Amino acid sequence: MKKLRGYIFSRAFLGERVPQAVQNLVIRDYCQRIGAQFLLSASEYAMDDSHLILEHLLDELDSVDGLVPYSLFQLPADRESRLRALTRVIAAGKEMHFALEGFAVRSEAQIPRVDDMWRVKQALADCPVSTDLAAYAGGTVFAG
Amino acid sequence: MFMTVEDQALNTEFLEQGYVIRPVADQAALDWIRDGFVALAEEALGRKSDLPPEVFLNHIHEQVPVPQLNDFRLRMIRGINAADALRENYYKLARTYLDALVGNELAMQLRVNLSIQFPDDDSSLLPVHADTWSGDSPYEVVVWLPLVNCYGSKAMYLLPANEYAPFDRDFVRLQGSSSEEVYKSIENKVKWLEIDYGQVMVFNQSLPHGNRINAEPETRWSMNCRFKSVFTPYGDKKLGEFFEPITLRAASRLGMDYRYPGTGK
Repeated sequence: MKKLRGYIFSRAFLGERVPQAVQNLVIRDYCQRIGAQFLLSASEYAMDDSHLILEHLLDELDSVDGLVPYSLFQLPADRESRLRALTRVIAAGKEMHFALEGFAVRSEAQIPRVDDMWRVKQALADCPVSTDLAAYAGGTVFAG
Repeated sequence: MFMTVEDQALNTEFLEQGYVIRPVADQAALDWIRDGFVALAEEALGRKSDLPPEVFLNHIHEQVPVPQLNDFRLRMIRGINAADALRENYYKLARTYLDALVGNELAMQLRVNLSIQFPDDDSSLLPVHADTWSGDSPYEVVVWLPLVNCYGSKAMYLLPANEYAPFDRDFVRLQGSSSEEVYKSIENKVKWLEIDYGQVMVFNQSLPHGNRINAEPETRWSMNCRFKSVFTPYGDKKLGEFFEPITLRAASRLGMDYRYPGTGK
């Protein structure tokens, strides 16, 4: 049975705040579903942009089969740091699971999947919202 | 609008009816999915079947007792979703229609759903609902796929788009009543969507829909999955936990990567 170390947040991420107990419940349920052993979660520091705990877990990969953050959006927002974290896990022959999203990165080829989700999520902050689109539709700019 | 005549016609039909039914865009992908379910069901039952696939699936209720239906269904859903090729094959079934109705830069639901509805079974019913009432964005559409021919009460129903305005006006009157009363209020207006194996439906999930007890002598097997344009607003079903971009295009990749010269941002 694979041993996966949980990783949760004690602060909001991308506007979402989830109680730590709920994060742990989701991780526990995910591990149960995939038949993995859930190792007690490490909780990231509350300071903005801190990933010191994640870095520590990456240093300690030898003792586990992989990491299981509550969500992939708890990885570093900085692209270079995020890709480096994922690459370190894969290079060590380990796995990075995401409990909320329900999937895992087990090879280098799967890293772009996570990266695409992150970049689209970040780009959505610059996209029109429903009210913008409704106003546009009312404007009949391209009637025809 | 600068659309082809064909795309314009498909969009008009979708807007007027609330759905379109078309032949699947990729027959091999459809057969791959149905063969996958047959293999999973045979594995669950512990024996091979020599029946044609449609007969085997239509009569699965003769081999699975109702109390075991939920476990059986979960096993089927998990089994088919565990196959890496499932979602790409599912997308291929409706790709051309999604391109025309939604766009060619899409987000797709992470897990494809399955419905198995035995004859006369009341444990698998979906009360009248619109997906938007439970957190889906109105920018989503559902791709609905029958794995057997669906007709009569073995099919699903939908309130057609041209019947929605009176429903919308009267809905306040139904506040405080039950979903069954909501259904009764539109019972004579809903359309039962007859659809055969080999066809696929794209429908507007903002319109009330659901199913009733299947009074036909065969089991319904159908799948459903949500798609939306990747950069349109999301509801409670978010990118990552529910949706994943599947067809990001070069211009979007360039835009997401762009930094002003020398600034790094």
